Amino acid sequence: MEKGQGGIQMLLAAEQEAQQIIAAARAAKSARLKQAKEEAEKEVAEYRAQREAEFKKKLSESSGDSGSRVQRLEVETQEKIENLKEEASKVSPEVVELLLKYVTSVKN
Amino acid sequence: MNDAEVSKQVQQMVRFIKQEAEEKANEIAVSAEEEFNIEKLQIVEAEKRKIKQEYERKEKQLDIRKRIDYSMQLNASRLKVLQSQDELVQGMKEAAEKHLATLSHHHHSYRKLLRELIVQALLRLKESSVLLRCRESDVEHVFEVLEDAKREYMGKAGVDHVHIHVDNQKFLPPAHDPRRPGSFCSGGVVLASNDGRIVCENTLDARLGVVFKQKLPEIRRRLFGGSGA
Repeated sequence: MEKGQGGIQMLLAAEQEAQQIIAAARAAKSARLKQAKEEAEKEVAEYRAQREAEFKKKLSESSGDSGSRVQRLEVETQEKIENLKEEASKVSPEVVELLLKYVTSVKN
Repeated sequence: MNDAEVSKQVQQMVRFIKQEAEEKANEIAVSAEEEFNIEKLQIVEAEKRKIKQEYERKEKQLDIRKRIDYSMQLNASRLKVLQSQDELVQGMKEAAEKHLATLSHHHHSYRKLLRELIVQALLRLKESSVLLRCRESDVEHVFEVLEDAKREYMGKAGVDHVHIHVDNQKFLPPAHDPRRPGSFCSGGVVLASNDGRIVCENTLDARLGVVFKQKLPEIRRRLFGGSGA
């Protein structure tokens, strides 16, 4: 009779152990899924940092670029204006003469 | 059944129960890994896509900003050039203005010019009676040439009389004097119909203004070619 009881005890214990094994597996699974989120966020943050660095680089390159481009434009403009002044002073006496001629010639 | 057989059966059942539990635990572990990978991948892909779009948008805006800035610079520079052109041409007008002042110093040619200006104004007005105004310093010159001018006008217009009243109350402003700011006149005459409604401004300054306006396109073309810049 005792042996019969022992057998049932053993079966019950085994059942309990089985439940524990399964419960542990389930807990591990949910921990693993939480890890998925954490690791994903880490990767995403790395990617963002990389894109940000690329962007900052582009930003500084372009401002350097445009600074020199503006300077070049300024120089070109000044040159153009100097040329105009030269041309004008060459042509000015002629133009003044022309204007005066028209003022003083009266066609009646 | 005897004890030994019962015991063996129990042990078999215990083993079976444990085996089943372990198989189940294994299945759970395997599915955990699968779900882990899928979940991680999904999150990463979705977030990466959003970030990529965000930065692409930022970079595009940067580009647009650059282009706008450059275009603005270009416009500002073009404007500077146009302004310079304008100033240079105005400078020529001013130089001509300075010369105008000296014309009246050469009495002989100035008188001839006055006569012609008076005749031209008379022909424009076509009135039988007009009012003439000149500078105070020119009154003598005007009276010197007035009769000749009348004769020439009558001949050209085919009329046999014209009356010119020279205003000796009000005069055109005097020649430009740097010490005295205000209005000035370099010479010439202003004629008006008696009722003052029709006026012909034949002063040297007014003529220069008209000529300058008319010749401006030609002057600009000569200097700057085409439409400039």
